[in-house]
Amino acid sequence: MVLKSKKRVWAVLLVVVFSIGLLAGCGSSQPPAGEPAKKAVVGLAISTLNNPFFVDLRDGAKAAADASGMDLVVMDAQNDAGKQMANIEDLIQKKVSVIVVNPVDSKAIVPAIEAANKANIPVITVDRSAEGGKVVCAIASDNVAGGKMAGQYIVEKLGGKGKLVELEGLPGSSAANDRGKGFNEAVKSASGLSVVAKQPADFDRGKGMKVMENILQANPEINAVFAHNDEMALGALEAIKAANRTGMIVVGFDATADAQKAVKDGSLAATVAQQPKEMGKISIETAKKILAKESVPATIPVALELVVQK
Amino acid sequence: MKELLRMREISKYFPGVKALDKVEFSLFLGEIHALLGENGAGKSTLMKVLSGSYKKDAGEILLGGQPVDIDSPRQAQELGIGIIHQELNLVPELTVMENMFLGREPLNSVGFIDEALIEEEAAKVLDELGTDIPPSAVISSLSIGEQQMVEIAKALSYRPRILIMDEPTAALTERETERLFSIIRRLAAGGVGIVYISHRMEELFAISDRVTVMRDGTYVGTVKTREATFDQLIKMMVGRDISARFPKEYRARGPEALRVENLSRPGKLEGVSFTVHAGEVVGIAGLMGAGRTELARAIFGADPLAAGGIYVDGQKRVIRNPADAIRAGIGLITEDRKQQGLVLGLSVRENITLASLKRFCKHLFIREADEGKVVDGQIESLRIRTPGAGQMVKNLSGGNQQKVVIAKWLATSPKILIMDEPTRGVDIGAKTEIYQIMNMLTASGVGIVMISSELPEVLGMSDRVLVMHRGRITAELPVGQATQENIMAYAAGGE
Amino acid sequence: MLETMRRSPLLRKMGPLLGLLLLCFILAFLSDRFLTVNNLLNITRQVSLNAIIGVGMTLVILTGGIDLSVGSVVALAGSITAGLLSGGHGLAVSLAAGIGVGGVLGLINGLIITRQKVQPFIATMGMMTIARGYTLVYTDGRPITGMPEQFRFFGGGYIADIPVPVIIMALIFLAGYIMLKKTRFGRYIYAIGGNEEATRLSGINTPKVLVWVYVLCGTLAGLSGIIMASRLNSAQPTAGMGFELDAIAAVVLGGTSLSGGVGTIGGTLVGALIIGVLDNGLNLLNVSSFYQQVAKGIVILLAVMLDRKRGKGGA
Repeated sequence: MVLKSKKRVWAVLLVVVFSIGLLAGCGSSQPPAGEPAKKAVVGLAISTLNNPFFVDLRDGAKAAADASGMDLVVMDAQNDAGKQMANIEDLIQKKVSVIVVNPVDSKAIVPAIEAANKANIPVITVDRSAEGGKVVCAIASDNVAGGKMAGQYIVEKLGGKGKLVELEGLPGSSAANDRGKGFNEAVKSASGLSVVAKQPADFDRGKGMKVMENILQANPEINAVFAHNDEMALGALEAIKAANRTGMIVVGFDATADAQKAVKDGSLAATVAQQPKEMGKISIETAKKILAKESVPATIPVALELVVQK
Repeated sequence: MKELLRMREISKYFPGVKALDKVEFSLFLGEIHALLGENGAGKSTLMKVLSGSYKKDAGEILLGGQPVDIDSPRQAQELGIGIIHQELNLVPELTVMENMFLGREPLNSVGFIDEALIEEEAAKVLDELGTDIPPSAVISSLSIGEQQMVEIAKALSYRPRILIMDEPTAALTERETERLFSIIRRLAAGGVGIVYISHRMEELFAISDRVTVMRDGTYVGTVKTREATFDQLIKMMVGRDISARFPKEYRARGPEALRVENLSRPGKLEGVSFTVHAGEVVGIAGLMGAGRTELARAIFGADPLAAGGIYVDGQKRVIRNPADAIRAGIGLITEDRKQQGLVLGLSVRENITLASLKRFCKHLFIREADEGKVVDGQIESLRIRTPGAGQMVKNLSGGNQQKVVIAKWLATSPKILIMDEPTRGVDIGAKTEIYQIMNMLTASGVGIVMISSELPEVLGMSDRVLVMHRGRITAELPVGQATQENIMAYAAGGE
Repeated sequence: MLETMRRSPLLRKMGPLLGLLLLCFILAFLSDRFLTVNNLLNITRQVSLNAIIGVGMTLVILTGGIDLSVGSVVALAGSITAGLLSGGHGLAVSLAAGIGVGGVLGLINGLIITRQKVQPFIATMGMMTIARGYTLVYTDGRPITGMPEQFRFFGGGYIADIPVPVIIMALIFLAGYIMLKKTRFGRYIYAIGGNEEATRLSGINTPKVLVWVYVLCGTLAGLSGIIMASRLNSAQPTAGMGFELDAIAAVVLGGTSLSGGVGTIGGTLVGALIIGVLDNGLNLLNVSSFYQQVAKGIVILLAVMLDRKRGKGGA
């Protein structure tokens, strides 16, 4: 019998569907039926995995979950608040024990958290906070303190005089708000400093580069750049290099592996070290405590440090 | 005389149709062999088999005595078979020489196209043809006749042993035709075998050595032109008397239905005026590009008019778009039914009611019962052969598709129906049925404007004949005074 | 059975539906969470936004066009409604403004396409960028919040245990179905997609039909944007990115031909559900989000290949 084209297409579709099923079978660590003790499952709704910082956070959480014998389900919202809502709804349908959420947007996450509340699933936020809903525990770096740290470093380096650029993170995210707030508090104290340009680049390296290119065109004199994360800082460095401009200090935030390398070779002046792996780990440990009905604090600040060339 | 080509018992099937049935053909060295037959007789199909566009389903092709298989146009070219198609196959934006060498551009040592060589070669071939078309001219700037010359030059640049010409004079003026004939004779004298397809009898007598006649996909016979008579060829071609082909019913003409005055459109129409009476068929003849289709489109509001008035039943009507024309009672059956007449992916029902859907609607909704009644009525009275009203139009034969187009316009109850090439691409049986539909329409008082490039059809079905040349009407003849000869003379611009 | 399917046009039309059922069957087998009333409601709610846009996109694609601006219209309409509401305007006014903005942008698309003869791809691509830019201007790049509590009803409410977006979606599909099947306007949409010139020469005001199609598509995108803002209880300036592609995918998965003239509104619902079920099912099965994208891409490619076969088979 000759396989007619139409049949062949459906046959391919079948194969794809089955292979996705197999893939899923491998990925899932659902215990086979009949196994007595069911493992606790923690859902991690992460804002994006297209950024090493959050990959570190996930790895920290994964390691902690493996160590304490829990299952971790990771869902990636690809920086889309609507998709994140769907992800959390799916986690609720899955009846996970605890939801750890790293919100795309502090405000847009609220209805999703409320839905989890309704289903009696405890919610922990990590890195970014939520502006509503019942959150058992908020785990975050003290971003205000970190922003201040970066600001003070720039004030010292420039001797309190110069023109500054601020590359902001995703508008509305708490990290962008807090880091910006701390930074601006620090630079306000020195009257000789002025922020000549302040634009969002959405925590993205490509956008950071593009925004910086434009700022360089508009401002012949710039002494320092503060980016709300390393990705944008590294993007800005590329733009500065391409424009052959010198004498600028660039400070990032997060201390990702790339950024630490850049600090080591001197192209990046400093970065504020967050500890994403630590955050991931703490979030799982907190989830474990919640499941064991132990009390947990409402907020857990995770320490920060300034990384500079040694 | 040496035999260059022999085609033996060639058959070709299309879904549901036997396009060629055991057809015979042969060609001698240096011979001009005419292939004669009506539209749909299978002339072009046979030549497409020879030139590799179609694969034969049965039969044998011998080239110089050797059997060959011709699977692609490229292979035909390599075997020395060149073809000049009825429709021009040139890229309008490219130059003459670029078109001539399209797809086989010689490269220079660097790997770029060798422009100098192309120009030299092109000029040589054009010179042989005795034309003064510059090789660097852009095709779109040339006249249709000049473009035809470029097609011939392109075919000759392959140095073919056999050259097939499919209706080469369809778009040419008389002068250009004469020039073409002298070129053809020169080529034949040089040893090229020429297959000349035409349904114009006069041309065949003027140029050919032998004539092969085909009818309905079958081989009728081959005769030496010198020994053949006009009537004999007609009889071979039609298989019966001409009067049976055109079942025209003459009747007394009614009151004036349509009058157009001074229709003008720059470059296309110049002061065209004529009338059509109820129950009358006005035939419009002319060469390609004479402005016949443009006239039809202008009356129908499909193209904008610069000046002129249109009167229906004596009332002046302002027609700015097809909707206005339909409201005034005018319908247009376009020459190209697939591109302009039908929505091929929709059903027979949906196509028939497309222009009159408002009639079957209450508010926004279609009343399917009313619609169905009208559609069934049309299918029956026009004898549209379809498995059902829900059948997609693209699955019908050409003749039945054309009847669907006619039905679409009848559903609008027109007073005047303009039919542009109403029987093009339709088989003989369906042609007769379409003529009978025209009789039915005139009997019910519809005035018909029939544009046709087939002079027998114009002579056989019209009450009056108008001839157009370069956007003007050059003659108006009662059908009794019209002949193929005087129509051709007026069409070519003579007075 | 496959043999019958190839022969029977009815069964061939059911192809996408069979695909969806097959997908559901496999997922139900692999995950005990999949086939629950709650999860099915959950899927339909997640699908509703894409499906509503898909209805408008179906109309546009049936005419042989495309509308790339819907994603940006989602963001702009949501932002304007949210902005007016948080500025203290009434619910009716704010909703009308959001939906109206969608309609007006659709009108502009339609006029540019019909009057200026700009290809739909280019015209709506321009509009996509303009609307996104204007959203950022209007919101200053920040999410808008602070809407009154009753606004959440449209995205998050229930009527008789059925999510409101699902009800809105169902009504729109019903209206779309009736319009395409039973009205002159619907018939003309198919005719234009099949052969625009023949339709024009049949006395139909084709530009008018086309403009209305783009107006409807924009309006539905606007409605979708409002539901989205309501669901997230905030309007995101970056909302709706990539929605145009999801909507086009749903339409094509549903068997509508990208070259116009052939397709159904029901098919689009099935197409949107296939995408939604795939997203949801793969989430339930813990498939990494990276692989999810691969799977989605393969399914869309398969659909386009099916579209091509269909075109070839029919001609």
